Amino acid sequence: MTLLSFKRAARESAPQAPGFEELALPSLPSLYNVAYWLSRDATEAEDLVQETFLKALRGFSSFEPGSNFKAWIFRILRNTYLTSRTGLAAVRTVALEDELPSGADSQAAPYPAGAIDLQTPEINLIQLSDRAVLQAAIEKLPPPLLEVILLCDLEEMKYREIAQVLEVPIGTVMSRIARARAALRRSFEESNALPRGFRA
Amino acid sequence: MSNHLTPETLSALVDGELPVDQLAQANEHLSACPTCTSSALAQSLLKSAAAKTAPRYAPPAHLQVQLARMARQEGIPTQRSTTESAPRPSINLAFAGWASAFALLLILGFVIYYTRNTLQKTKSTADFAGLVTEASDQHVATLAANLPPQVLSSDRHTVKPWFQGRLPFSFNLPDNLPGDVRLEGANLTYLHGHPAALLLYSIGKHRASVFVMEKNSGKVSDPMSVDHEGFHVLGFSTNDLEVVAVSDVDPARLSELVDMLHNAQALASQPANAY
Repeated sequence: MTLLSFKRAARESAPQAPGFEELALPSLPSLYNVAYWLSRDATEAEDLVQETFLKALRGFSSFEPGSNFKAWIFRILRNTYLTSRTGLAAVRTVALEDELPSGADSQAAPYPAGAIDLQTPEINLIQLSDRAVLQAAIEKLPPPLLEVILLCDLEEMKYREIAQVLEVPIGTVMSRIARARAALRRSFEESNALPRGFRA
Repeated sequence: MSNHLTPETLSALVDGELPVDQLAQANEHLSACPTCTSSALAQSLLKSAAAKTAPRYAPPAHLQVQLARMARQEGIPTQRSTTESAPRPSINLAFAGWASAFALLLILGFVIYYTRNTLQKTKSTADFAGLVTEASDQHVATLAANLPPQVLSSDRHTVKPWFQGRLPFSFNLPDNLPGDVRLEGANLTYLHGHPAALLLYSIGKHRASVFVMEKNSGKVSDPMSVDHEGFHVLGFSTNDLEVVAVSDVDPARLSELVDMLHNAQALASQPANAY
């Protein structure tokens, strides 16, 4: 059976890779959320996301189909942020990753001994529902720790994806997440809002 | 106990990122170390609290429309303020102009519909995943705490009335449970920010946690039958109640218990929708 040339061509190219629009638009809410958290400003977040889309669109030909688009476009967002005015200011005022306090947590002495100490679910809920305290604690995190918490807990990315976004080894991701959570716990303790179970 | 789990290991554990061999070692350690178990639970609560209570900032509608246009390569504005792009070279044919406008209108409508749909799906998926995770976490926490239930009884006529005045709704408990299924008691708890009854059952040597809470929307939920971190999570809803069961027992046995709970609600002459 002979196919007309245009039909044959259409059949051969049937399994097409998803286009930029199909890949990028579902990521928009996540990109904007992270951009807002990093910049703490709606207008700047808008600019960051728009510039990210623009760069991604222009560089889409270099994107390898089948690889992780979310990690790819988040890496562009992060690089865009780091070269923005806010990002540059943050880099100047906050220690670079090597200068972040390290070791203290990862080499920490064992947790104090004690039996499993759980409060009732009701009390935990009340304590944990204090949005203001939690938001303040997250906002106090330095950018390198903030971004891992955003990507891990809010955007539910895997460590491998986060490592791709940050362009660091997975071990560094693990270390930063542990340090970020330790910092959050310290903030809770300082604000006296931490349930007993958190102090273990 | 020495050689406690490091903070990195605990974080990776609650994030589900530990390799199989390290996970086995960590579980073995946790089974013998209440300190690390307590820390793991605290980390898990912190993670879910951050995910639940940290505000999510939604992109403004005009940005979504603008970026959708950009994604379709219809126009690439270079600055945010240039939402209204410069007029393109005019086409003399009036028909072509009207056709372009009509096509643009169609595309914009589709983009708005698509974006809204995607956002709704994302929210719904996140809510569902959050419910499953929270139910599983509470199941694990209850097992780890190993505390007696707030109401310690296997008699449904004792357990059900205990919730009077404690919950803003009521529910029925099944009678004539199979031989190795036993009601151990119940707790008052909160799930997804709502008060809920946590019914504690044993099925053979396995434990099952059944959460009963008030339905917060008239819409009947989709079927719930998922596996989460080794636990089976089943659920059903009636017009008034939402029930979620978590256990590591054989899914068929858990399903048997869930069916009995469902039938008990139906016997209370509540119009029910099974799934």
